[in-house]
Amino acid sequence: MLDLQGYGPRLIEGAGVTLSLALLSLLLAIVLGLLTASAKMSRSWLLHKFATLYTTVIRGVPDLVLMMLLFFGGQMALNVATDALYDRFGVDWYVNLNAFAAGVITIGFIFGAYMGETFRGAFLAVDEGQIEAGRAYGMSDWLVFRRIRFPLMMRHALPGLSNNWMVLLKTTALVSVIGLSDMVRVAAEASRATHEPFVFLIPVALIYLAIASVSELIFARLQKRYNVGFGGH
Amino acid sequence: MAATPMPLEARNIKKRFGDTEVLKGLSLQAHKGDVITLIGASGSGKSTFLRCMNLLEQPDEGDLLMHGEEIRFKQTRRGREPADWKQVVRMRAKLSMVFQSFNLWAHMTLLENIIEAPIHVLGKPKKEALEHAHALLERVGLTARANAYPAQMSGGQQQRGAIARALAMDPEVMLFDEPTSALDPELVGDVLKVMHGLADEGRTMIVVTHEMGFARDVSSQVIYLHQGVIEEAGPPQEILTNPSSPRLQQFLAPKY
Amino acid sequence: MELTTWFTDLLDGNLIFTPQTLGYYWDGLVTTSQLVFLSLLAGLVLAVPLAIGRSSRHRWISLPIYVYTYVFRGTPLLIQLYIIYYGVVFVDGIQESIFWPLLREAFYPALIAFTLNTAAYTTEIFRGAIKATSRGEIEAARAYGMSQSLMMRRIILPSAFRRALPAYGNEVIFMLHASAIASVVTLMDLTGAARFVYARFYAPFEAFLFVAAIYLCLTFAILYFFRFLEKRLLAHLKPA
Repeated sequence: MLDLQGYGPRLIEGAGVTLSLALLSLLLAIVLGLLTASAKMSRSWLLHKFATLYTTVIRGVPDLVLMMLLFFGGQMALNVATDALYDRFGVDWYVNLNAFAAGVITIGFIFGAYMGETFRGAFLAVDEGQIEAGRAYGMSDWLVFRRIRFPLMMRHALPGLSNNWMVLLKTTALVSVIGLSDMVRVAAEASRATHEPFVFLIPVALIYLAIASVSELIFARLQKRYNVGFGGH
Repeated sequence: MAATPMPLEARNIKKRFGDTEVLKGLSLQAHKGDVITLIGASGSGKSTFLRCMNLLEQPDEGDLLMHGEEIRFKQTRRGREPADWKQVVRMRAKLSMVFQSFNLWAHMTLLENIIEAPIHVLGKPKKEALEHAHALLERVGLTARANAYPAQMSGGQQQRGAIARALAMDPEVMLFDEPTSALDPELVGDVLKVMHGLADEGRTMIVVTHEMGFARDVSSQVIYLHQGVIEEAGPPQEILTNPSSPRLQQFLAPKY
Repeated sequence: MELTTWFTDLLDGNLIFTPQTLGYYWDGLVTTSQLVFLSLLAGLVLAVPLAIGRSSRHRWISLPIYVYTYVFRGTPLLIQLYIIYYGVVFVDGIQESIFWPLLREAFYPALIAFTLNTAAYTTEIFRGAIKATSRGEIEAARAYGMSQSLMMRRIILPSAFRRALPAYGNEVIFMLHASAIASVVTLMDLTGAARFVYARFYAPFEAFLFVAAIYLCLTFAILYFFRFLEKRLLAHLKPA
């Protein structure tokens, strides 16, 4: 039987950290992605440029560097800001940027850029005639979005969404480097301490594979639902 | 086995896809210089029959002979397959095929398409292959397009290029699978003209087509297929002007 | 004028970007380039036969390759790196072998992990491209008497490589970015240099923004290189 030498509970906790980090980042990424997509499609020149800058920079710099910049630099910026608050207004307020929050923000921020591209492509793929049909029947803009544009868009967005999620999941491993005790960090620590790397690292790899496989199943079901009426198999 | 003057013979070819029998025992003899046209409604099995002749489809039953040499088959789990693929490769090198959708190799220029198989399948020296290719390009009127890629040419040009590619193999029999069906009407004429010329110089050709004019003017024999069976066959002047089968009469009747 | 004085003032006043630290960044750039280039090269060499095997009709060939690509694409590169970096010591007899002096350093375990990782992704990219070969072109090759291997060499692979180019360009950029984790196993790559400068001067913005700018430039260089290649090699797919 697998002897985890007492690291079992911490590994399970770490898996929980990984999963909640991934899900929260996904949520943030989807929100940022929708915002970016709307900015890129908006008629405002400024919004368009800003969104393009965001996606270009994010996709040109390694995740780990962005993460360190935000985690180490973000804390310093916060310190400067809170010091200024104290000096000027006497407000004694200290914010400690913890690794979990930094992780969620960076990963959400990074994948927001990728999601933006996914959503933009998907929105553009929607047949405008069907939107017009909705308007012609007296639907409000919000109703058209909710009942027609969004479901049609999701059909095109799902493959990209699923792909982004798989990459995001693996990216969460990087937070172990900035000190968050996700399952990778626990496994690496345990490997160093016990000199038994395979005992800890291989099960962690298997957990990633398991999450990925379950995700694949879920996305396959979602795809089936949004493909209704398109003769998808 | 002595070489016979019959370059290609098919005997009692049968083929089924799942539960449907698409070819129900078809035979054909192509003598040297014959131009045989296969006509029939879509779904009659004419293209499948043609594709069986160079084994792009495997016939479930029946024999194929080239100059009297029989293609050997064996029974496998997947069904009937050629026993000796080397024999098939040798056979295919002598039967060149022209496809409905041209099927030029998209990553090669027209010239490269033409010299590809002569060099790598027949083992011709490059210089000889190039000389031959240029002569063929001139013949099909595409000298100016030698270095164009297929995507840069019109459908008619691609098909004439594909015919040049087929001729570069010095084939004993040329198989044409609806060579003009994918072309715009105004481009059909150029391709038919090239094919006409080939027939005139005594090439052995088997042509699946909907062009009744071509069948009438050029072929030595017309075979009318209906639901996988040869309904009527004979010289064009006989069976096209005076068909005995009511189905062929209906098939040939003006559609308007 | 004002701008130049501002700039010289900035340079004079700066304690961080000295020739010494710039030297660290330069060494880091060299290490990163070596790691990325060598692993991409080795990965490419592995991926071609693997992709052909993965496209095979025989399950006993394609299935093991699929398991390999699934595992390496489904788990974080960091885990793969840890397993190889910490695990290499435990391979029987490795410490007596002639490779030990190499494997003891972090560079080679990292190179092995990166190579296996990119080979897995590249295999799937090529497999997709092989699968997308036009059926008609394959039929034409068969009809002209090409054998299976000749067809693979002359028709399928040349057109598949061209089709795979855009996706492979992404993979190259992905590898450049992924290589940043080499710094985790003590390698002084670009990111490693930035971490060192950060730790020494406690200057996160200077250290990481500078290195981010270098990565951005490298990314654009790769991007434009692949665009140039695509323009040349994919010209045949565009109508005149």
